[in-house]
Amino acid sequence: MGKKLSDKITEAVILTFLILFALSTLYPFVYFLACSLNEASDTIRGGFMIFPRKFTLENYKVAFQNKEILQAFKISVLITVLGTACSVMLSAMAAYALTFRDLPGRGFVMLFLFIPTVFGGGVVPTFILYRRLHLLTNILVYILPGLYGFFNLVVMRTFFEGIPKGLSEAAYIDGSSEMGIFFKIIIPLSGPIFATMILFSAVGMWNDWYTGAFFVSRQNLKPAATFLQQLLNEADMMESIKNLNEQNIYLTEMEQERQNAVTPESLRMTFVMIITLPIVCVYPFLQKHFVKGVMIGSIK
Amino acid sequence: MQKILQRKKEPEFVIEPKKTVWKRIKRYRWLYLFLLPLIIHQIVFRYSTMYGVLLAFKDFKYNAGILGSPWVGLKYFDQFVHQYNFWQLITNTLRMTLSSLIFGFPVPIILALLINEVNAPKTKKVIQTFTYLPHFVSWVVVISIFQNLLSPHNGLINEFLGKVFGMEPKYFMGEKQYFLPAYLLIGMWKEAGWGSILYLAAITGVNPELYEAAELDGAGRWRKVLHVTIPCILPTVVIKLLLNMGSLMGVGFDQVYLMQTPQNIDISEAINTYVMKEGVKQGNYSFGTAVGLFQSVIGMILMAISNKVSKTLSETSLW
Repeated sequence: MGKKLSDKITEAVILTFLILFALSTLYPFVYFLACSLNEASDTIRGGFMIFPRKFTLENYKVAFQNKEILQAFKISVLITVLGTACSVMLSAMAAYALTFRDLPGRGFVMLFLFIPTVFGGGVVPTFILYRRLHLLTNILVYILPGLYGFFNLVVMRTFFEGIPKGLSEAAYIDGSSEMGIFFKIIIPLSGPIFATMILFSAVGMWNDWYTGAFFVSRQNLKPAATFLQQLLNEADMMESIKNLNEQNIYLTEMEQERQNAVTPESLRMTFVMIITLPIVCVYPFLQKHFVKGVMIGSIK
Repeated sequence: MQKILQRKKEPEFVIEPKKTVWKRIKRYRWLYLFLLPLIIHQIVFRYSTMYGVLLAFKDFKYNAGILGSPWVGLKYFDQFVHQYNFWQLITNTLRMTLSSLIFGFPVPIILALLINEVNAPKTKKVIQTFTYLPHFVSWVVVISIFQNLLSPHNGLINEFLGKVFGMEPKYFMGEKQYFLPAYLLIGMWKEAGWGSILYLAAITGVNPELYEAAELDGAGRWRKVLHVTIPCILPTVVIKLLLNMGSLMGVGFDQVYLMQTPQNIDISEAINTYVMKEGVKQGNYSFGTAVGLFQSVIGMILMAISNKVSKTLSETSLW
């Protein structure tokens, strides 16, 4: 059965629209990557770019030589690795315990977990709590509050429920404790869900600018995402100043700087790329799993 | 011999479900150890902040603690409601949430319907991959990107508009009148693709026989979408809409806070960004808690009302 001409036209229009939309989400990242690999003095000329016009690694070199930037990334890596490891392991253990329908007190625990997802104290009581616990000057502030998420627990529990009970029963009969069963049988069978949870948790920790911006007082404890927010503030200010009076002293100072290899703007674009690249790299692995995760989460 | 006997005894223990509670507790003792950190975590980080809501009704003195501080009743609520910027905050918040409900909410649905019309699986996959990507990038990265692209000094978008339409460079991220459109478009750019997953899943669940029946009745592509696909995904749409109703009083904090500049603050200050500034940064703890509580109570009331309305109209509801 041949298609009608009008059908073909509709299809072409839809496809063109979707491709344009997809390109609009992709292109800014391509542009930033090209700019970060381009000579700063050339980037300020502006213009559309897919590949760098004058290739250089100078931007990255300057960025990685900057002590503050290095410190921020150190914090980011530390909290992402530590936070993800603790969060996924503890969540998996709790989720596994909740798969036992005849566990006395299970219903109560589920309700106990559910209530805070509906009612919360808000940001000020949270801040006061962190202050009480001396978390404002402690790196644990990034890790402890987010250890458990209701959504993660439900997704993991659903996965564990799919593992045949016969396996763990057999091990139990052979004298393994629940602890042993969890580590020897459940974990090796749960590769996909662990991969998904690790990736989700890591992306969340890596992207968290909020905690650093509002709950942490020491500059040397702020992660890269918060550092970028501070740069954004500065850039906003610069833009406002430039806009108020075009011929400003700040501007001429900036122009002088622009004669050099790196401008604040090119450095900022490089910084954006350094934060984004790890996510773009794990994204293909993430994508394999997340649709299922979203479905389970939305049913709940 | 004894070992074999023991082994024979054990399976009974497992299979028989009606063991006494104590025996089950003993058998599952390790599992309680697994749950213990979770319970402690919930008490310390969730329930204690719920209790902290009491601050809204007290004059908080840090040294006296929450319990020791004197009660002041509704003083801070009263102060907020009569404050000079009360209506401004309410209008700003509703302007942002309502306009993203009207303009932003349908976009993922339309996107899902369009993606569903693509017959080439590979192209479909590529389109989905690209459009989901921004969801995984931090808001601070997204706003940094748009700050650069929309800049009046060599920003790509201004340059493009200048070359094609001969427009003067505009300070899109600063000036007041561009705040709302920029807010809506950037929000769509980041989340529309991701939002479409849910609807695509709902579309996949539509019974193919319905399409066949429609075809037999002579329905074309457009009519099939209108009379089969859309009615079938309607429950999903309603649920999503109800959930959005609950957040009508709260804008997406990250995006709005990061987009605020001194020039646009008059229309970009929402209730939750105000709470953060007053309550946490300025240290007016009791006042901040009161404003935050005000916001969440109204949010819950709105959600309950819309749930009730939906229940009577469409028989779809959250509870």
